[in-house]
Amino acid sequence: MWSSLALFGGKMNDKFVIEMQHITKVFPGIVANDDISLGLRKGEIHALLGENGAGKSTLMSVLFGLYQPEEGKILKDGKEVKINNPNDATALGIGMVHQHFKLVECFSVLDNIILGVEPTKFGLITKKEARRKVMALSEKYHLSVNPDAKIENITVGMQQRVEILKMLYRDNDILIFDEPTAVLTPQEIDELMIIMREFANEGKAILFITHKLNEILAVADRCTVLRKGKYIGTVDVKDATAEELSEMMVGRKVQLQVEKSDAVPGDVVLSVKNMVVASKQHKNNAVKNVSFDVHKGEILCIAGIDGNGQTELVYALSGLEPIVSGSIKMNGVELSKQSIRKRNLAGISHIPEDRHKHGLVLDYSLEQNLVLQTYFEPEFQKNGFIKFNEVRHYSEKLIDQYDIRSGQGSITTARSMSGGNQQKAIIAREIDRDTELLISVQPTRGLDVGAIEQVHRQLVAQRDSGKAVLLVSLELDEVMSVADRILVMFEGEIVGELNPKTCSVQELGLYMAGAKRDDMNGGEK
Amino acid sequence: MILLIQYTLIYASCLILVALGGMFSEHSGVINIGLEGIMVIGALGGALTMMYMPEGVSPFLIVVLTVLMAALAGLAFSMLLSVAAINFKADQTLVGTAMNILATAVAAVVVKAINTTASHGDNVSAIVRYIEEHEAFIVRWNLGEKSFFEFNWFFVITIVALIVSAVILYKTKFGLRLYACGEHPQAADAAGVNVAKMRYSGVMISGVLGGIGGLVYIASANSSWDFKYGVAGAGFLALAVMIFGEWKPWKIAGAAIIFGLFRALSNVYTAFPLLMELNIPSNVYNMLPYIISLLVLAFTSKSSRAPKAEGIPFEKGQR
Amino acid sequence: MKKKFKLDSPGMQTFLASVVAIIAGLVVGFIVLLCINPAGAPKAILTILKNYLNFTRPNLILKNIGGTLVRTAPLIMTSLAVTFAYKVGMFNIGVAGQYTIGIGCCMWAALAWDWPWYLCLLFAVVGGMVWGAIAGFLKSVFNVNEVISGIMLNWISLYIVNIWLNNDLTKETVSPGTLQLHNYAKQGMIPTLGLDKVLNNEYFGPSIFVAIIVAIIINIVLNKTVFGYELKATGGNKHAAKYSGMNDYRNIILTLAISGALAGLGAGLYYLTGIEQWETSASSLPAMGFDGIVAAFLGGLNPIGVIFSSYFIKHISIGGTMIDLNVYSSDISGLIVAIIIYFSAFTMIVRMVLKRLKERKAERGEKQ
Repeated sequence: MWSSLALFGGKMNDKFVIEMQHITKVFPGIVANDDISLGLRKGEIHALLGENGAGKSTLMSVLFGLYQPEEGKILKDGKEVKINNPNDATALGIGMVHQHFKLVECFSVLDNIILGVEPTKFGLITKKEARRKVMALSEKYHLSVNPDAKIENITVGMQQRVEILKMLYRDNDILIFDEPTAVLTPQEIDELMIIMREFANEGKAILFITHKLNEILAVADRCTVLRKGKYIGTVDVKDATAEELSEMMVGRKVQLQVEKSDAVPGDVVLSVKNMVVASKQHKNNAVKNVSFDVHKGEILCIAGIDGNGQTELVYALSGLEPIVSGSIKMNGVELSKQSIRKRNLAGISHIPEDRHKHGLVLDYSLEQNLVLQTYFEPEFQKNGFIKFNEVRHYSEKLIDQYDIRSGQGSITTARSMSGGNQQKAIIAREIDRDTELLISVQPTRGLDVGAIEQVHRQLVAQRDSGKAVLLVSLELDEVMSVADRILVMFEGEIVGELNPKTCSVQELGLYMAGAKRDDMNGGEK
Repeated sequence: MILLIQYTLIYASCLILVALGGMFSEHSGVINIGLEGIMVIGALGGALTMMYMPEGVSPFLIVVLTVLMAALAGLAFSMLLSVAAINFKADQTLVGTAMNILATAVAAVVVKAINTTASHGDNVSAIVRYIEEHEAFIVRWNLGEKSFFEFNWFFVITIVALIVSAVILYKTKFGLRLYACGEHPQAADAAGVNVAKMRYSGVMISGVLGGIGGLVYIASANSSWDFKYGVAGAGFLALAVMIFGEWKPWKIAGAAIIFGLFRALSNVYTAFPLLMELNIPSNVYNMLPYIISLLVLAFTSKSSRAPKAEGIPFEKGQR
Repeated sequence: MKKKFKLDSPGMQTFLASVVAIIAGLVVGFIVLLCINPAGAPKAILTILKNYLNFTRPNLILKNIGGTLVRTAPLIMTSLAVTFAYKVGMFNIGVAGQYTIGIGCCMWAALAWDWPWYLCLLFAVVGGMVWGAIAGFLKSVFNVNEVISGIMLNWISLYIVNIWLNNDLTKETVSPGTLQLHNYAKQGMIPTLGLDKVLNNEYFGPSIFVAIIVAIIINIVLNKTVFGYELKATGGNKHAAKYSGMNDYRNIILTLAISGALAGLGAGLYYLTGIEQWETSASSLPAMGFDGIVAAFLGGLNPIGVIFSSYFIKHISIGGTMIDLNVYSSDISGLIVAIIIYFSAFTMIVRMVLKRLKERKAERGEKQ
């Protein structure tokens, strides 16, 4: 008990606007926050660092009144307060930009901003005053928005501005930013950093949740680190290095480099030519005239910021979405008009981006999920009846081979498994199909460091066994360390081909942000 | 012709009220398949009020009391949906279906019990009579010899309800919050809106309007009603009106008039020589609204305007 | 492993939830009876529960067992239709319409075309199947929610069948009812195979056995076959099903078509016994469809479970017609059924209570 208090002991004379003491929050089966304390000063940017699942978002949801902690208390200006719901938080001046924006899509920007604090006259909403205030705020902080635009019609970066304006409109002076940079372009990130700094200079207190070290080093004053729901420590950023912070975050020295030999590319397995894919979100095409080849024995990585057409590209390759024009050839056979099943049988394995949407039937048992791609093969069925013994046998084999852990083995419901083990099950299923091409989309999303390393090793092993691997990743580190060849996608086009050995992260970043591009169409094809 | 207009207005009034009720419920995020049942119970409340109305009560008071009781009955019955859907996160379609079955059974049991007791077992029907009381709702306008238009106070109630609904939905903070709960309850929650409370309100409004709608259905053109038949699918037709009206008050009003016309035609088409000659069975007119809705749905569902979060129980922790 | 009743197994929970719902329904029904006339209430509720056991003469008991079973058969079919669709993630509220179309088809085939019974039955199946497939088509191609299209199709089917059978070939001249099969279309009646003699009930035939066999087949299809695996995967997560190469469009249409076929078969199995006429002036859908939803949920959405829940519902509905109708109305059993369905939507509560019980037990265990 005393030990964690002592962390603050030396700084008791500093005034904290918000202090969270010994917060413990338990969800069924997991302690999301285990005795976490945190103090926030006026005018500082306080980073909250931790991996996925470290408990950052939970802690902030507690502060924002979305969850009630089992233990611990919250102090505002030294006085204990109860935050039972977001209204209480707002009353205390706490505002939050959520990781998944909380905006009503069919509402206008203005309606979203005033929702919950609507100014009224005779019971009717009066928007005139609200509009004036929003316009003034947006001018002051250079957050230009069109108050009458519908949320569904504006960009993600713009939506984030609306979220920020929501806090400002409520006169919040304690601002929580939950992973705000994940959806932004580098330029937008820079702008956001400037705005955050501006807020801090004005005396607002900022909590900045992230797992990106460079952002913390760039903008934060202090940094609190969480790991697996536990409090690790708080450091002054100016005295800290990236290595120290990352070690605090993951609990050991991180081996960022993946050990692998040089690739020995063989024949072309997949050949994509002039492929165009329509977008479901907007009228433009999501993938514009893209051409590339994937060879045997190489890991080709598609890099880019989220939402630049990678998802649609993979959907088109796997057959989940039709293409507008172009061709997809696998070993010379045209696939673009084929059904998903035919493509799978032609030799495509696919570790999907969203494991809950595409990867698993959550109410099916583990074994049923493990045969999701093969249940119709003679190995598992006879005259239309499933061979349950074979399925069980196969499932036990995969569980053993890929170290999939679950409560009741083969008969565990997928829903009750941890995210990491769900992902392991999908990877096992897709790799074990032994196909020529493995499409792997963000295979390490949401996994802890140990699991990430394991996935990377498996990808490299696939490559070494002569398969073609197409990896789509948003993580720069992953791209640089795993890929043999990098294609950068920006706004639906491939804007550059890079060699991870010779290019720098900065260069890659410039391509990803659209600041630099090569003419790809005149090139190799 | 006058009769056709009159019937169209009656059916349209009924459909507007009930569809508006459905609209409030769905904008709050709760699918209300139980509108039919709510109508039956509202109708029952109103019918019994009229039946037990002492003689000599002023027509105005009759109207007020009857409408009030119908609204209260509908409101009470709608609580079955809100409790199950909001507190217990039950399957809303299933609960709605249960409510429809329940309402008809309750109405039949209650009315038969009353009739049986009153007649010492001679009358075991489910018919309620309110011959004189129902006159209170009607003002006859003479249009020359032997023809008159029956103006109905329900028309006024409907128009008021329509205007008030539109204002509430689009101009008040209640409306904004309700709408948000049906579209993105997590966003509403984060903005400090009590989602459960708003959803309760939405369902309760649908109970009130559905209850009055049920009364309109049985009392505006009839002086007695056999509760054996419930309200013969009017609640489902209102659901079709709501969908056809894209969950928007004014469009709902338009859709209700079109659908009301079809219903009216099925009743009075024999008065039109032209339609008589066509010899189309009344069932065709009854069927048309459903076919039209189905076709419209088929061509617009890809870009459906239905509230996004309807039918999905709200869990606080979800993103 | 020793087989043991586990309170936390999903099957057990569903069963307990159903029992709780039934008890709640009966209690409410009893209270209503008490309100109407306290003196006769205990006797009335017992009468409902006893159904054919109210009789003392063996042949009357048999006759009424037969009557109950004849009416149970179509209910098993409609509840199977609901169950089957639900397993694939669809709420087939349109079962009433598919059943209605089935009635129209078999009546028309028997009375107007003088078809033999097996073709009439087949026609009813095809009719229901087509009607179900329309909803499936609308869902898979046009993305129309099956609940909404089902509701519309229900009413359309009612009016179509009314128009269709309102005809000199099929309708009695003096009443809105269709012609009696045993007078006008004996060839269209399902042969009773002598079973009518066994139970002393002229309508009792092999229908109930057909229904039970179909239930068993559906259970096998859902749980043991590749087809069932695909369907349940589509129901559980249609995106994952699509991703794995299953044809989700086809599966959705096929599911609702099969569901409709089951409902149509139910209509044939019932109406081709000649037990009932269709009223061409009907203004509401046959209760068999919505009762199918009740029975499906009460039976825990399990093809075998619905055999029992269907029987139970018919048992008390027919029991309801035996109470003193000069005091109470027979609708009381409809009320009980409606309460049961309402409460079976609350399976959550039962699960929560069971969970809490278990936790308390565990706590006590820890203390000792």
